[in-house]
Amino acid sequence: MSESLAISVRDLYLDYEIYEDRRAAILERLVKREGTGRRLVRALKGVTFDVAMGESVGIIGSNGSGKSTLMSAIAGLLPPTSGDILVSDEPKLLGVGATLMLGANGYTNIRIGLLALGMSSDEVDILTPEIAEFTGLGEALDRPFKTYSSGMRARLHFAIATSVRPRILLIDEALSVGDQAFKHKSRERIDSLLEEAGTLLFVSHSLNEVSAMCSRVIWLEQGRLKADGPPDRVISKYEAFAG
Amino acid sequence: MNAVLSTREYLAAMWNRREFAIEVPLQQLRTTHQTTLLGNVWHLGNPLLFVAVYYLIFGVIFEVNRGVDHFLLWLTMGVFAFQLTSKTVLGGANAITSNTGLIRAIKFPRALLPVSVVISQLLSFGIEIGLLIAMVLLGGVGFSRRWLLLPFVLIAHTALNLGGALIAARLNDTFKDIQQIIPFVFRLLMYLSGVMFPLERILSGLDGRPWLVTVFSLNPLARIIDLYRWVLLGTTLTGGYLVAAAAIPFLVLWFGFRYFKAVEWRYGRA
Repeated sequence: MSESLAISVRDLYLDYEIYEDRRAAILERLVKREGTGRRLVRALKGVTFDVAMGESVGIIGSNGSGKSTLMSAIAGLLPPTSGDILVSDEPKLLGVGATLMLGANGYTNIRIGLLALGMSSDEVDILTPEIAEFTGLGEALDRPFKTYSSGMRARLHFAIATSVRPRILLIDEALSVGDQAFKHKSRERIDSLLEEAGTLLFVSHSLNEVSAMCSRVIWLEQGRLKADGPPDRVISKYEAFAG
Repeated sequence: MNAVLSTREYLAAMWNRREFAIEVPLQQLRTTHQTTLLGNVWHLGNPLLFVAVYYLIFGVIFEVNRGVDHFLLWLTMGVFAFQLTSKTVLGGANAITSNTGLIRAIKFPRALLPVSVVISQLLSFGIEIGLLIAMVLLGGVGFSRRWLLLPFVLIAHTALNLGGALIAARLNDTFKDIQQIIPFVFRLLMYLSGVMFPLERILSGLDGRPWLVTVFSLNPLARIIDLYRWVLLGTTLTGGYLVAAAAIPFLVLWFGFRYFKAVEWRYGRA
């Protein structure tokens, strides 16, 4: 992998095994024979692209086109069926609907999230006030996480994941649930990460946001890379396709 | 970069996040009995009620206490030690399945979750052991130099529990049915580990089948309970099987770690 690359995806295939019958799946694991209740869903079918350091790339496509699978694979949360993913640094993934510890309050979630990311207790103590402020959640931070709306969850998660100044940030629809004030704040933080030669992969259905934030757009359709290039060109192709 | 971590790298990554493994159980300990009136009293109240029930049945009704010195202390030690293992393994079974939110959000060595269950249960056990030592001193058994061996017994016991928790975590992630079966396995183990009555009473009935005596005697949980009683109460040890108490827990841990780590990537997937 060349030195200026942040992410290199090479001929990536990713299959999900879907069991229509959960019991067939369990029996199959027990007796190690091919069952009948299994169906293979090919989420990614040979995706190849490179992302340079400092680049911000939008990823668009219809529902079920493989965008979220691609993000999870790059984050190292899903192993590829075949192909390679090389990254220059550990990517941080922000997904919509991400939960941490449901029963614990906001402050505890900040603490546990940061410790899980590998920080020391001292670093957590230093960073917590700043993160708490950034979330703008105020007194709600004392309430259990399960009482949060999806927008509030996204705020907290965004604040935790970006506090470590990740060199590679993957955002999967996580900003779409935030209100205007938070969108503005998060945009500022993403811009500052990009200025530090950080790299962004941004999945969104809001084509306006994608063209505002990204210098390049990748269009995925049914697990294949359909177009890759400057935002206006790829977006207009996609709009023509989606009608 | 996305490659599978070697055992050394994996353990290093766990060590880097050791504060996480302590924070999670502290959090759980705070919230476990939050919805009950007596709150934290239940951390001790629950095991003590078990002791009371077994004392009534096995001590008063069946009178198995004949020939056992300090039966109440003997029974309490057995119940506390046995429950540490059963609660840890059952908690380990849920370690992955009840933390999918955290697993899908952040990449970290998943073995930290069973480890945090072990730590959580050890914290409760610390309080129980404190109470037990107070009972031993008040009960007139008195201090002995054997007590200095208590940390070593605890280390072997913890190795066994962590190994069991790791195995249960992977099994339950694959087969959710395991969670239903574990309580029954432990109920059976309780009778076979000499918790409420001396194990020798079962073994003496098996004289014609020496291989069965050997199998029962190799049960590491029974041997560890023996060790606790020996350390705190000065009961006699069934000598030759001491090796089983010392070696089997570490074999279980070694196997459990490898078994758990082998499918690390699969945890948290739908």
